[in-house]
This record gives sequence, C-alpha cells and structure tokens, in this order.
Amino acid sequence: MIPLNCYLGLSAIIFAIGLYGLISQSNGIRILMRVELMLNSANINFVAFSSYNDDLTGQVFVLFSIALAAAEAVIGFAILISIYRMHDSIDLSKLNLLRW
Amino acid sequence: MTDLMLLAPEITIVVTGLVVLLAGLFMSTPSKKILAYFSTLGCIIALVLTINSLGTSATLFSGTLGINALSQFFKLVFLTVTLLVSIASIKYTEGNSHTEEFYTLVLFATFGMMMVASAEDLMVLFVAFELASLATYALAGFEKQNPRSLEAAMKYFIAGALSGALLLLGISFVYGASGTTNISAVAQNADLLMSSPMGLLSVVLLIAGFGFKIALVPFHMWAPDTYQGSPSVVSALLAAGSKKMGFVAAFKVFIVALIGLQADWTIAFAILAVITMTYGNVVALSQTSVKRMLAYSSLAQAGYISMAFVVLTPMALTGGILYALSHGFMKAGAFIATAAVVYMVFKDDKKSEIPDHIDNFKGLGKRMPITALSLTIFVFALAGIPPTAGFVSKFILFSSTIESGFVWLAVIAIINSAISLYYYARVVKYMYFIPAEGERVSEPAPYVVALLIAVFGVLAIGFWPEPFVQMAMNAADVLI
Repeated sequence: MIPLNCYLGLSAIIFAIGLYGLISQSNGIRILMRVELMLNSANINFVAFSSYNDDLTGQVFVLFSIALAAAEAVIGFAILISIYRMHDSIDLSKLNLLRW
Repeated sequence: MTDLMLLAPEITIVVTGLVVLLAGLFMSTPSKKILAYFSTLGCIIALVLTINSLGTSATLFSGTLGINALSQFFKLVFLTVTLLVSIASIKYTEGNSHTEEFYTLVLFATFGMMMVASAEDLMVLFVAFELASLATYALAGFEKQNPRSLEAAMKYFIAGALSGALLLLGISFVYGASGTTNISAVAQNADLLMSSPMGLLSVVLLIAGFGFKIALVPFHMWAPDTYQGSPSVVSALLAAGSKKMGFVAAFKVFIVALIGLQADWTIAFAILAVITMTYGNVVALSQTSVKRMLAYSSLAQAGYISMAFVVLTPMALTGGILYALSHGFMKAGAFIATAAVVYMVFKDDKKSEIPDHIDNFKGLGKRMPITALSLTIFVFALAGIPPTAGFVSKFILFSSTIESGFVWLAVIAIINSAISLYYYARVVKYMYFIPAEGERVSEPAPYVVALLIAVFGVLAIGFWPEPFVQMAMNAADVLI
C-alpha cells in the first residue's frame, strides 16, 4: 500500500505548481487552469485522508468541491468574456486602471 | 416541519430570489422596477422572521446547521445590510434590463452569508462561503461596459479563487488530523490536531484563506481595487456584508474548532491586526478617490475587529461582534452616500472617469443636504466619535483589551483611531467648507430612505446600546 505521505507530497507539489502559475501568469485562461490545479490538490488530500481514516465524509466533500470548482470556472470565464469584448485580449496584465 | 420553520428567513430569501429571476424573464424593462420593490419586501419579511427567532437555539440536519444567538445575530447583520443595499439599488438599477439578475445575485449572496452564520460543519461552511463569493464576483462586474468594474471583478475573482483553494486545503488538513468535519467534533479532537504537524499547517492555510475574505494585510491587495471599481451599492454589500461573513466563519473555525491551537493563531492575529490597522489608516490618508479611502478605512476596521481574536475574553468578543453590526450600518451607509454622489456626477457629466473623486464632494452640504449630513454622521461614527455606534463598539473592544493586559495593542489601536480622524474630517471639510460648484440636486428617494435607515441604526446603537450589547453578549457566549 502506498503510504499516506506520498499522496500528501503529490498534493503539495500540485498546489505549489498552481500557486506559482497563479502568481507568474498573466493569461486569463492559464490563471483559471491554475485555480483548478489548486482545488484539485485539496481534493487529492481529501480522498487520501478519507481512505486512510476509513471515513466517507472526505469523498462526499470532494463531490461538493468538484461541483463548486465547475461553478467557479463558469463565473471566471463569464468575466473573462466580458473583458475580451472590452479589451480584445485576455492578457490580465493590461488591467491596470485601478491603482493608487 | 418545525425544523423548517427555524429556517424561514433563509427560505424567504431563496424563494424571493427565484421568483424575481423567473418573473424578470416575462417583464419589460420599465416594469422591472416592481421586482426591486418585491426583493426589498422579501428582505423585510426575512428580517422580521429573524428578529422573532432571536432567542431560539436548535441543531438541524444531523448537526450540520445550528440556530443560536451567534447565528441569528449575524443573520441580522447580513439582512440589514442587504435591506439597505436593496433599497438603494431601486434607483441604481432603474431602467436596467438586468434588474432581475442583480437582485437575484444579491439575494443569493445573502443566503450564502446566512448559511455560513448557521453552519456547524466545515463542509456546509465551505459550500455556503463559495455560494456567497460566486454571487459577489458576478455582482462586482455588473457594469459590463465599464472597464473599471470588470477589472474589479477579475481581481476579486482571482483573490477569491485563491482564498477558496487555501481554505479547502486547510479544511482538508483539519479533516485529516481530526477525522471529522463537524466543528464541535473537531474541537473535541483537539489533542489529535495538536500532536500532528497538520494542525499547524491548517492554521496557516486557514488564516490566509479567511485573511483574503476579511482583507487583512498582506492579503488585502484586491480590496481597494474591488471596492473602488465595482458599483457603489455592490461595494456596500462587499464591505459591510461579505467581510462580516469572513469574520463569522473565522470565529467559528478558530474560536470553536481550533481552540486547542490557540497559542499559535493568537500570535498570528495579533501581528496581522496591528499591521492591518496601521497600513489601512496610513494609506487612506493620501487617497483622492472617496471609495478607495473608504476601502482602506474598511481594512483598518477589520484590523480593529481582529483584536477580538487576540484578547479572546467574552467582553472582547462582545465588542468584536457588536463592531460587526455597527460597521455594517456605517460602511453600508457611507458607500450608499457615495452612490448618491456618483449618481449626481453622472447626471452632470456622463463621461466622468472617477465619479467618486473627492473634488466632486465640494459643497455637498449645499447640493445634497441629506446625503452630506448622513455621510458626516457615518464618517464620524467610523472614526469613533460619541454618541454613535462606532464609539460604543470601539469603547467595549478597547476597554476589554486593556482589562486583559494587552495595553500595547489598545494603545496602537487608539493612535490609529486618531490618525483616521484626519481623512474622515477631510471629507467633511470638502462637503461643508469648500464652496459648491453646481446647483442643488434633488436627491432620489431610494437613496434617502436607505441613508436614513442607516443613520437611525448608527444613532440607535449610540444612544441606546444596552439591547444591542446584550444581544452581542449572548452571541459571544456561544463562542466561549
């Protein structure tokens, strides 16, 4: 049996990739993909804990979180489409009207 | 059946939202005004139902939802804020073909916040938290033709998505270490959390996740941009409602579930509270956009409320919880007053790029007397001048901080309050002591009604604090 720490390590690596991408990218769609990565790394954690604790709550939680991630992506793409119509691009580094 | 009666306020809000959404499909744009009145009515009914159920306490749905003094108090906060926003938006959405979507999103966001206040299980808490966040992302970008509104929505979305991911990861470690997602069961398994490194990891992740929502420095960078760019009525909902949702969720997760790790998170909150209030007040000094200044002042207020996490006595929590209600009235009122000014500016000049610039507040006392007077009361309340709600809540919070021996923290907070008076008084100076540049403008009735309700709330808590303090004390008893 694969030890629990391997799953936690995998999830930590995926989360770190997602976080790095979120900070370094300026393309809107890539940012949405990084958000999905981060949410899924948490899902891996839940399923791993659920299996090692012999408790189903974690798997139910993952079903909810997958549905929420889908809803979140929908809102994100809706905002991106509005931005594309306005600026003809989805490069988020061009959004710089609001600053101090 | 009796169980469902306890959820009557939530059910009223959801049903109103669905009816508004469906009815809007079959109505012409001018007649959609009636939907705005209908939503306001729904909020009033839900508010009355919540006030009626203030004393009850119960647990529903196998311990996943709880009705108690804390949840009902925060539902009161959310519903009053939604009522103010909904009344003010009658004018804002006038003639807009998307009125029904605006109101549905506002009502669904409120529903999410109310469920967070009731959640007794981390799963329910997370789902409700995301429901409120998703609805507010869309609201922030409601002006689809306005690049500032879209930018505000995108920045809010990215920060919110990051906060959601951090929260989810934090909850997964809490679940992994304690084997359950029920908040009170997590508290019982505190020794499991303390013996495992996952406990500390989850504290770090959850502070970051909630920090984004509450807008604590250094997780605040989205807040000024979003509050400035989104429509003013939506900023009122975000600053007064959504931020309080972050607080009630953090109260439940840290003070109830993770109380075993108290030593770790009180230090973190002490540092965050000090940085947040100082940064917010100092940066607010140099702002020329009034909405942005209110956003930084909102950061500072979040810093004050966070002191409740550091002191952790029943009295300090009472102060923090009462502050949430007062801040709801003051901040929602101040943003709605800005909305009235923005309306006036757009009437003169459709192309104005920064309608909330402080120059537009010149001579407001002559041009819009009710708005100017209410805004004066709100900013003085935010600064903590008696006899207003801001003074009472600051007094309870700061005095309980000193009583528990955190004199240094109280001193920093009081110095910060003094700094904040400068930028609040500057707005008043512009409104009353610099001559007006335009004609007198007739103030739209919805804004006036919303402002007067907020003024009434601020002064009621200031002049007659006993019942509100008692309610906040009952709510604090649930936590400690």
